Amino acid sequence: MMQDFSSERPASILFPPAAIPAEPVGIGLRAPYYQEALKTDLNLGWLEVHPENYFGGGIHRHFLSKIRERFQISFHGVGLSLGSAQPVDENHLRQLKDLISIYDPFHVSDHASWSTSGNAHLGDLLPLPYTHETLSALCCNIDRTQNYLGRRMLLENPSSYIAFDQNDVSEAEFMNAAAQKTGCLLLLDINNIFVQAFNHDFDGFEYIDTINPLYVGEMHLAGHTERAAGSEIILVDTHNKPVCGEVWDLYQHAVRRFGAVPTLIEWDQDFPPLHILVAEADKARTVIVRAEQERLFHAAE
Amino acid sequence: MRLNEMQRFFRDIMLDHPDALKAPPENFAGLFESSEIPLEERLKVYRGNIVGGLTEKMLSVFPVLDKLVGTEFLRGMACSFVLAHPPARGCLNLYGAGFDTFIRNFPPARSLSYLPDVAAFEIALNMAYHASDEEVFTLQDLALIPSWALGDALWDLRSSAALVRSTFPLRAIRDYCLNEVKNKPETLNLNQGGVRLMVYRPALEVLIVDLAEAEYELLNHLAQRLSLGEAVQKVLQEHGDFDLSAFLKRHMMLGTFKKETYRDEICS
Repeated sequence: MMQDFSSERPASILFPPAAIPAEPVGIGLRAPYYQEALKTDLNLGWLEVHPENYFGGGIHRHFLSKIRERFQISFHGVGLSLGSAQPVDENHLRQLKDLISIYDPFHVSDHASWSTSGNAHLGDLLPLPYTHETLSALCCNIDRTQNYLGRRMLLENPSSYIAFDQNDVSEAEFMNAAAQKTGCLLLLDINNIFVQAFNHDFDGFEYIDTINPLYVGEMHLAGHTERAAGSEIILVDTHNKPVCGEVWDLYQHAVRRFGAVPTLIEWDQDFPPLHILVAEADKARTVIVRAEQERLFHAAE
Repeated sequence: MRLNEMQRFFRDIMLDHPDALKAPPENFAGLFESSEIPLEERLKVYRGNIVGGLTEKMLSVFPVLDKLVGTEFLRGMACSFVLAHPPARGCLNLYGAGFDTFIRNFPPARSLSYLPDVAAFEIALNMAYHASDEEVFTLQDLALIPSWALGDALWDLRSSAALVRSTFPLRAIRDYCLNEVKNKPETLNLNQGGVRLMVYRPALEVLIVDLAEAEYELLNHLAQRLSLGEAVQKVLQEHGDFDLSAFLKRHMMLGTFKKETYRDEICS
């Protein structure tokens, strides 16, 4: 009955070392896909996981170990609450560092948002005013995280459904400033830019043009949902649908500007069959290849 | 308004009665741009994400409660729990611990006296699912321990192991609710007797083990950090025919105990 079951062996023994994947497209690995992802020959360069799901141990780690033997992985956190006015939870950092030491991800990221106030972690990515005070608090927490982990992290731009009146700078300028001050890279979520542009009435292409290309290390693509608010619409970042046409247009623009950085298809609820995600990843690859061909064509002119 | 103050206001409004979204304090409402969409509608999106998301997380941990009371009742009860006890950390794997105590004091559930025990059982199953894996203490390890050292040693249950005792037939209730019963009868007899169980995860599956009364008592004493000698003495006071040898053989086979702790205690 008793079995030898140890999935927490040092990364150096089991896994290939972390490296930015040569094949730039990946998908989010969630529990419904564990079995199929292990059995299928996936044309993907990498897989992304939420590290919090693997804190402490548990059955999920068994699958993550098997996956890591075959794929590069990234850790995309949802629990650091970098934008809180209070310091990042050291217990959270310790568990994240432990997990990194085992699985050796090529990227570690979290969001420009907050979730924790006092002793309550609200389990959502909540909005920040883009002020000097916020930038200072966010950068302190990014510094704490990077120092604790001993590595550079990536910071993702948020989706939000409410806009502050007291912003000192635009969101794109705020993201640039956070990267400039802390040395972190940016994870540009293109769907979030589209959602923000719609909800807060600005131009998503201008946002992309404002972001410093030197800071961009990864991009995300996902679906969103329209929610009726009286006679108006709010776009909600639900990660439960295919990437929409307008987001693909923005992505094409972003690839031309930022190059073939690793790109992720995110899907976090109402999970479709795995091949749907892989087909979305194939579309992203097509955009990247086309942009690369354009670049070569122009270079040859 | 300072950042920490804004975040405190936001948190308190999200965890308040839904009506709080209709008329947030003026100094908080004044922080946001006015638009065609009322502030209440925008705040509702967050409220749905926070309270709705955490409530759904709770529902995933308590499938038996869901069958027993129905999704609507469970969702209401879980929502009340979320508002009273939001998570303290960013890792939500074990969120829902304490729901058994909450249910015990939740007036609408007071007539369903078995619910808190069912909740405690499901919490134990969830903890076993997420617990860390470790090397276990085996019969071979036991053979290497000098007999004079056995009695003084402290024996730690493996991280996934939890002991559950109830006057209700929890295992039968779970099997009945999750359709793991052949020729399922229309009703389940709740008076068929209680259970003493160990929930643990030796590999990829969470297992439920029925325990005899003396066996449960001994494991419970060990879990409370009594030495094996002290624990056995206590058990023998009530169960003179207790067979320690059979107990050790069974639990070495099951893999109930951690290896490392035992070794540490002997070395110290």
